[in-house]
Amino acid sequence: MNQRMIGRRMRDLGRGAVAALAVAALATSMPLRAQEGSTVTDQAAQKVAGAICSSCHGALGVSTSPLFPNLAGQQELYLAAQLKAFKAKTRGEADAHDYMWGMATLLDDSVIGGLAHYYSAQAPAHGTPGDAKLMARGKVLYEKGDVPHNVVACATCHGDSAEGTAIFPRLAGQHAAYVVRQLEVIQHKFRDSPIMHGVIKELAADDMKAVAQYVQSR
Amino acid sequence: MLFAQRPIRLRAILGTALALAATAAEAVPSYARQTGQSCVACHVSFPELTPYGRWFKLSGYTIGVRQAIPLAGMALAGVTRTKNNDDGTGTNTPVTARNGLPAFNQASVFLAGKATDNIGAFIQYTFAESYSTDGTSVGHSGIDNTDLRWVGRLGNENSDVVKLLYGLTIHNNPTVQDVWNSTPAFGFPFTTSPTAVRPTAGTQLEGALAQQVAGIGGYGFYDRTWYGELTAYRTADGLFSVLRHGQDIGTPGGVARLKGYNPYVRVAYNKEWDAHSMMLGAFGLRVNRYLDNTNPDSGSDRYTDAGIDAQYQYISNPHTFTAQARYIRERQNFRSSFAQGLTSNPNDTLNSTNVKATYYYERQYGATISRFSSSGSADALLYPSGVVSGSGNGSPGSRGYVLELDYLPLQNVRLMLQYTTYSQFNGGGMGYDGVTGRSPRDNNNLFFNLWVAY
Repeated sequence: MNQRMIGRRMRDLGRGAVAALAVAALATSMPLRAQEGSTVTDQAAQKVAGAICSSCHGALGVSTSPLFPNLAGQQELYLAAQLKAFKAKTRGEADAHDYMWGMATLLDDSVIGGLAHYYSAQAPAHGTPGDAKLMARGKVLYEKGDVPHNVVACATCHGDSAEGTAIFPRLAGQHAAYVVRQLEVIQHKFRDSPIMHGVIKELAADDMKAVAQYVQSR
Repeated sequence: MLFAQRPIRLRAILGTALALAATAAEAVPSYARQTGQSCVACHVSFPELTPYGRWFKLSGYTIGVRQAIPLAGMALAGVTRTKNNDDGTGTNTPVTARNGLPAFNQASVFLAGKATDNIGAFIQYTFAESYSTDGTSVGHSGIDNTDLRWVGRLGNENSDVVKLLYGLTIHNNPTVQDVWNSTPAFGFPFTTSPTAVRPTAGTQLEGALAQQVAGIGGYGFYDRTWYGELTAYRTADGLFSVLRHGQDIGTPGGVARLKGYNPYVRVAYNKEWDAHSMMLGAFGLRVNRYLDNTNPDSGSDRYTDAGIDAQYQYISNPHTFTAQARYIRERQNFRSSFAQGLTSNPNDTLNSTNVKATYYYERQYGATISRFSSSGSADALLYPSGVVSGSGNGSPGSRGYVLELDYLPLQNVRLMLQYTTYSQFNGGGMGYDGVTGRSPRDNNNLFFNLWVAY
């Protein structure tokens, strides 16, 4: 079951049940821990991570440039799903095309599982505070949403501490510029994410910056 | 007659000028096919490298999946208009060929990619067209910039993250192996007009040895911070002769011939933070160069080039800003030339400075401003007077700006408009050539260029 199918089903369900159902559906359709116990696979993945991924995503998954997301401490299921989406070319925004489509073709499913496992186990990046006013606005959006604009509180799916869960990515400590970029491409449907399309349809540009600053600081 | 007086040196200078003219932007789509990534992963705008592009090059071009035949190609064509194309002798003689008319510049084939996880290559073979003011043109083909690498990696104890990237390189143009675009081989301007007049003087590091020598070197890049390299340059003959294939080796002054192995050293401090990266570096080359490449008894001169350089890059979306600067001071020990009455002084110096800043919007619309200047010892025998390309006061100094606008409708297609303006040319102002009343600004030129790579 791929993300798109899951997403279509989700839209037919009540928003309150979305998160729980998504997790349940994915938990049954995907291995919780790819290639668990496979030392050889983990070693192969670790080699790929060290020799290739680290070129952009940094040693141990904490990247330097905000063009490239931090991977350390990211949710394992989310990482695996994204790598598979890159490989299948179903994640289609320009940056995915320019950087990741080709890289993902180098990976088979076992290495994808190994990479997801490896990066999820690394210590996440520390929060980096930004503009105080923006962070305050971001905190409100993150925790309470923006009801008049149909923006659901981010915490509903991404967790109170923005640590993410299952297919909902960790946002805490993520580069703000990267988060803004993702919100933009998802809002304009360059990146397919059925759940998010609805949630951020009316999210204003300034609010994207605010919420990005907030999660980066976590 | 100028040519009769200084046959070897002038032809060497002309050879250098032609080599520089033939030097153009390189970017290699076969690497894109190998990695599956787009040009923008490695290039701000080709050939300027991003931090990842530098890593890819230092990794010996080995990231990705080996292609059966890693071929790529590129072609350049353009139009140049020189401000004053009359040589001022009253004979109605044009200065440059095809002024204001379209001209095919060059086409290249690349064999570029990985062979194994530790061995990779960048090999360029170029066909270039040379135009004469009498309306004729002649094509010429030969090896272009080439860099073969073997690479090794050392991780730290707790992970496979590469801590030390090290390797060996065999190449044919000093600084073609460098990964920062502040050094000459891949420095700005990336593409120049094949017909426009250019200043005569240039240091050995700025193209005078390109595609004529073999460099055998070793390098290490530690913690993405410290870079060190040691390379020895020798004449590309014998086993290395393929590295100068297509050069005119039989004519005095046709190519550079070096005495023995000549050292080049390079150190750099590199830092990357957020969307920024910067580099501070230094490099040096000492070459003993024969006066006559066809005669090993002709004696040799010693050139010692010492340079410092710096680079800053801010790479984000949609804004990208980059800047490079370099300064080279060349000490010229004319121990043989002076003894043979070919230079006015036993020792000269030549200084060269280049600074440029570039802005790109969405990696598609770019603007660059560049300042160049050179200065050095006056030497009437080395820089004699002569129509357009001579120097009336025997000085090498030239100064000016290059302004460039770029538009990339696709990542592998670039439309470029480049304006070069001179405030000083070959040591002087109005009447700089010592023969006519030509002014530096008469050599100003507008160059439109189309660059396509596949």
